[in-house]
Amino acid sequence: MAELVYQKWSGKINETIIGAGPLSIKIGAEEGLPFLFKEGKIPNQPRIAFEVWDIAPADWPDELAGQYKDVFNNPLEWAGKCVQEYQAQAICLRLQGAHPDFGNKSAEEEARLIKDLLKALDVPLIILGCGDDNKDNEVLPVCSQAASGKRCLIGSAVGDNYRTLAVAVLADGHSIIAESPIDINIAKQLNILISDMGIPLERIVINPTIGALGYGLEYAYSIMERARLAALAGDKMMAMPFICFVGQETWRAKEAKAGEKEFPQWGPEAERGVAWESVTAVALLQAGADLLVMRHPKAIDCVRKYIEVSFKDNI
Amino acid sequence: MALSGLDIYKLLPKTNCRECGFVTCLAFAMQLVKRQALPEKCPYLSEQAKSALDAASRPPIKLVVIGEGEDKLEIGNETVMFRHEEKFHHPTGLGFIIEDGLSSEEILKTVNKINALSFERIGCLLRPNLIAIKQNGDASVFAAAVKLVKEHTNLGLVLISKDASAQRSALEIAACGKPLIYGLDKNNLEAFTKLAVEFKVPLVVSLQDLSELSAVAGKLIAQGVEDLILDTGNKNIAEKIWDLTQIRRRGLYRSERSLGFPTIVTIEDSADRFDPILEAATYIAKYAGVVLIKANEPWQALSLLTLRQNIYTDPQRPLQVESKLYPIGNTSDKSPVLITTNFSLSYYTVLGEVEASKIPAYIMTIDTEGMSVLTAWAAEKFTPESISAAIDKYGLKEQVCHKQLVIPGYVAVMSGKLEDACGWQVAVGPKEASGIPSFLKNLQL
Amino acid sequence: MKKLKVTFYPENKSIEIEKGKTILAAAISAHIYINSSCGGDGVCGRCKIILNKGEVISQPSGRLSPEQRKHGYYLACQTLVESDLEVLIPPESRLELDKLTQEEVDLRLKGLYSKAEEVGPPQSLIKEGIFRHSPLATKLYLELTPPDHTDRISDLERVLRHIRQNYDVKVIQIGLVNIRRLGSLLRDSDWKVTVTLGKRNGTTEIVLVEPGDTSEKNYGLCFDIGTTTISAQLIDLKTKKILGTKATYNRQASFGSDIITRIIYAREEDGLEKLHHAVIDTMNEMIKELVRENCVDLNDVNCILCAGNTTMVHLLLRVDPTYIRREPYVSTANFVPTIRANEAGIKINPRGLLSCVPGVSSYVGGDISAGILACGLDKEEEVCLLIDIGTNGEIVVGNKEFLISAAASAGPAFEGSGLSCGTRAARGAIQKVKISPKDFEVSFNVIKDVKPIGICGSGYIDIVSQMLKAGLIDKEGKFKQVKSSRLRKSDIGNEFILVFSGDSGTGSDIVVSEADIENIKRAKAAIFAASAILIEQLSLKFGDIDKVFIAGGFGTYLDMENAVSIGLLPDIERKKFIFVGNSSLAGAREVLLSYEAMKSITEIAKKVTYLELSIESRYMDEYMAAMFFPHTDKSRFPNMKE
Repeated sequence: MAELVYQKWSGKINETIIGAGPLSIKIGAEEGLPFLFKEGKIPNQPRIAFEVWDIAPADWPDELAGQYKDVFNNPLEWAGKCVQEYQAQAICLRLQGAHPDFGNKSAEEEARLIKDLLKALDVPLIILGCGDDNKDNEVLPVCSQAASGKRCLIGSAVGDNYRTLAVAVLADGHSIIAESPIDINIAKQLNILISDMGIPLERIVINPTIGALGYGLEYAYSIMERARLAALAGDKMMAMPFICFVGQETWRAKEAKAGEKEFPQWGPEAERGVAWESVTAVALLQAGADLLVMRHPKAIDCVRKYIEVSFKDNI
Repeated sequence: MALSGLDIYKLLPKTNCRECGFVTCLAFAMQLVKRQALPEKCPYLSEQAKSALDAASRPPIKLVVIGEGEDKLEIGNETVMFRHEEKFHHPTGLGFIIEDGLSSEEILKTVNKINALSFERIGCLLRPNLIAIKQNGDASVFAAAVKLVKEHTNLGLVLISKDASAQRSALEIAACGKPLIYGLDKNNLEAFTKLAVEFKVPLVVSLQDLSELSAVAGKLIAQGVEDLILDTGNKNIAEKIWDLTQIRRRGLYRSERSLGFPTIVTIEDSADRFDPILEAATYIAKYAGVVLIKANEPWQALSLLTLRQNIYTDPQRPLQVESKLYPIGNTSDKSPVLITTNFSLSYYTVLGEVEASKIPAYIMTIDTEGMSVLTAWAAEKFTPESISAAIDKYGLKEQVCHKQLVIPGYVAVMSGKLEDACGWQVAVGPKEASGIPSFLKNLQL
Repeated sequence: MKKLKVTFYPENKSIEIEKGKTILAAAISAHIYINSSCGGDGVCGRCKIILNKGEVISQPSGRLSPEQRKHGYYLACQTLVESDLEVLIPPESRLELDKLTQEEVDLRLKGLYSKAEEVGPPQSLIKEGIFRHSPLATKLYLELTPPDHTDRISDLERVLRHIRQNYDVKVIQIGLVNIRRLGSLLRDSDWKVTVTLGKRNGTTEIVLVEPGDTSEKNYGLCFDIGTTTISAQLIDLKTKKILGTKATYNRQASFGSDIITRIIYAREEDGLEKLHHAVIDTMNEMIKELVRENCVDLNDVNCILCAGNTTMVHLLLRVDPTYIRREPYVSTANFVPTIRANEAGIKINPRGLLSCVPGVSSYVGGDISAGILACGLDKEEEVCLLIDIGTNGEIVVGNKEFLISAAASAGPAFEGSGLSCGTRAARGAIQKVKISPKDFEVSFNVIKDVKPIGICGSGYIDIVSQMLKAGLIDKEGKFKQVKSSRLRKSDIGNEFILVFSGDSGTGSDIVVSEADIENIKRAKAAIFAASAILIEQLSLKFGDIDKVFIAGGFGTYLDMENAVSIGLLPDIERKKFIFVGNSSLAGAREVLLSYEAMKSITEIAKKVTYLELSIESRYMDEYMAAMFFPHTDKSRFPNMKE
């Protein structure tokens, strides 16, 4: 009777390598459920990337923007600060400035930035488009080429628009972010479509489109759990690591950004925002997140500590 | 062990008599599987079928109640490891620890602070459930602290002390409120068992080792003590997750009765304001029945209670937002009006995109009982009539000076009827919310 | 209100209508039926007409190209009559009422298609002799002994006594009309009369008394009333012979192509009335043709048996179907008592009876009960599956122990409706297609071997399957970036030209658009997901299924392998598939001919458990999983090679 229940899994998560140098990171490769070290190997710690923009973000709340105000207008310095001051393990550059409504930077401009950034940084780079399909199809291939051989992670490929990016990523040796709207089937369909384009499975990372704490967190949470269970049960088309855009979602939640004046019963916003971002992150880690893209240095510090403590003696 | 619909069907009379309210015996069987009907509804069940069904429907994890009255906490009765498999039934009880060594003023202040923790989110009131009083010194001090707390709160109490005599004096004051007694270990087993029996209160069994825990719980069951909550003491996060997972698995998969109880976790206090919250968040996600923590700032409680709400939402029953007119951004009477359902995810998705567009706009949510746009349309909950009624109800005419509505692209078909019904001009928006920013940019009012 | 005259061509049919009504409304009043899938919302763009003369007010529509606008095209539903008009209805907008050819109907009703050789010779589904011959209406020729002083019982008692003594029948009812006529009728006919007995709701009544011996002339009709197509057969009730068969479009299609749109329309002013008339007009016209062609007197048609989905039965009987669509989706009646046909406006013998096959629930109707009876699902030892592919896709799983059903709103795509070049499986329809993976060259087969005018359901299944194999589309159904003169981008997206205008019977290109493929994908996903949910509810797997009966007005050909390869049918042993065609009509015929079958089908309808998919949380998940070719979960299609 009194025996431990071990679950045997036939599948394992793919290992994706991001970055080309000595500071490259590996994500994925789990052979069991999150944090159940006794049941299956979990060789890689979940990683956190700092989110950096090519333009000064207009809608970051003061508490957050204040952390970077000295470097907000200079993506090179911004990324540099994340690495030097906060020991960032990876940088996630969002090319928001390429968006027709937010500066409409040209592909060449963005490619130059990528080149400069890669020259200045040793840590791996994640590159995100601006979200406008047409513009991304114009900009991302050029950026991909500019980063050729640096094994970046580039996104996002979506169901309606994955081919252009897939072709570029494949040619330049990067990995691709496959984004699906909180639906396990669409996530898998996109993985199949992308792999049909010739991209090896271990170069695909799933973005399950999370919601922040209080804003639909539970949907992505369950989608990730289901996907992970399917992958461990042997479904190769679900066996990709997850990337979660925790910062992006958290910092538009009212609970993270509203001032204490507006909601005195919620307490000071400085702590509240950090708590919101880090609790969102920790919950998603329980569901299997492998790579978190976050914003607030304090929140990142807390979650990194959490990961390290949990992984201590366990690898 | 779980029976399938067909297994249960075979136990039923198969006469389709409809006395249970279902059209066929098979339909009834399929509801029994989902525990959405009781076997008693069938007047013609054989004894053999009854006992088979009872055995199959007995909850593998016992329901335990702490506290009394409206604020009592029920935990346990869980049926799955993952919320998508069915749902998590009884939300983790969140309790705050108060040291008995504090002055009465300090205790009172803390109690009032905890009592005041109450947040409204998506139509639900989020509140903590328990106050735990922890003994540090004399039994009489403990009893006095318990008395003070009890007099000033309706929340259930947890009495933390390894000292059976201190527990006894506290119970003499507080037993009527069904507090949880927390402090049993190998050395005071007998005395605590006696307390639990005598005062009819739930009891925490604390032992580091799972086999020992199971053995002791087994002994307690044998003595008729069945309101148990399990604890494996202080461990690091990963080990704790392992323990909680094992207890849940052994209860569910092995029907191991001595581990078929809810669990409790006490968060070690820390100088850091965030670490304890992250640890507590972990256990809310991973099966804890009760989490006790010292950190009681509003922002700390808000984030944990919100997480609990998320994790314990029924995946089959979508969360709803209030149906009303939401101004987004700096709206004016020229701002566009977008219509969607009150399914929380529909609303939040539209909200996110409207915010991203930087164009101030109104979102009007129609009460569709939480159905998404297409489902609600097909079920006649999202109709020209319901939208027209909402326009009047929320006084849209008073808010904007134009007469144009934007409806989701998926219900383009209703645009003509809607124009007739409400007299407003209808613009058909994009099918996917991600198209909203560019749609709004090009929208001509 | 001033009345204006609208004349429709080429019929040259005029109608007077109030100013400000739509041209679509005018056409309906003129009994001219125009295509209108969306029911007049201006969304589907199928009701195009050409204005030759007159003033109109028209809503701008993206459904008309600038070219078309220049040539005077308008959408009939979005155009208001402002003066006397002359309107030309182009052939593509016409809801054709021409009949299927006998040959097509035979194929359809026998239910066995081109792959017949793979599934065995055509067979009558119901084995001879299972149900005793006892039709809904029976004629008895009586030679009565006239009354005298020793035998002075009344005329009516005399008739009843004779029947009681000579036949094993207990007559319970007779109408006043018959009694009033009885005295003179018996004497005028020298006490030799024919009595028509009808079975009504468990009792037997005298429907009619006629002079002389007419017992040889006893006919009945069975109908399958589909959302899109109505089929009928004229039966000699005495010999059980099928005298004639007809199939035609349901004229209700003018008010929208799916059930939901029609239920909504029923709430409009006179909506229920119009829908009711559209269906009885269609039926009466079919009856008229059938009796004329077979030289049968309408007065000798004594009964009708109808099988249809619940909404169609409601509309036939002019019962408001509103509540079918509202939670918790309850209909007014699933079991309708036998009535006089003329109460429903159906023109046969004025005293003739009309009976409807009982249904299971709001979305699983008598057509499915009839299908179950026809396939013998309720008699099977092993678990079998019945898939009826129509505008609604209905699924039944079960055997003699249990039956469980569900309905999926698949839409009319497989009936060729709602697609840019879709057409029903009739003359000119492309029904079989091959596409070369090398150069994307197309070869196809057209019904009746004429120039193609459109593509029918089986054609679309072939096309999607072939496009996947040729690498023209990805597994999501989107066109890949390949070079071919057949691929082009239009305003509404990418499309593949199957037939260039020069080779087509319409003078326009016959194309398959990305949106068409999406429509087919949705339809097949709905049907597959519904099947999967039912199977899963019973903790079964597709592999456990012994036989799969495939029913419905699919067309005359269906390539099974292609149907599996797009994920419409499960990937199981092909020999388990049995194509049964219109099982609803077959079941209705059986019930018409045997009261035992009527009792049996009533039991079936009571026994079937209905699963409401819209409240089944797993359904949406299964549906999304099926929204891929062949399926997101490849392991469910183990025999499909990449």
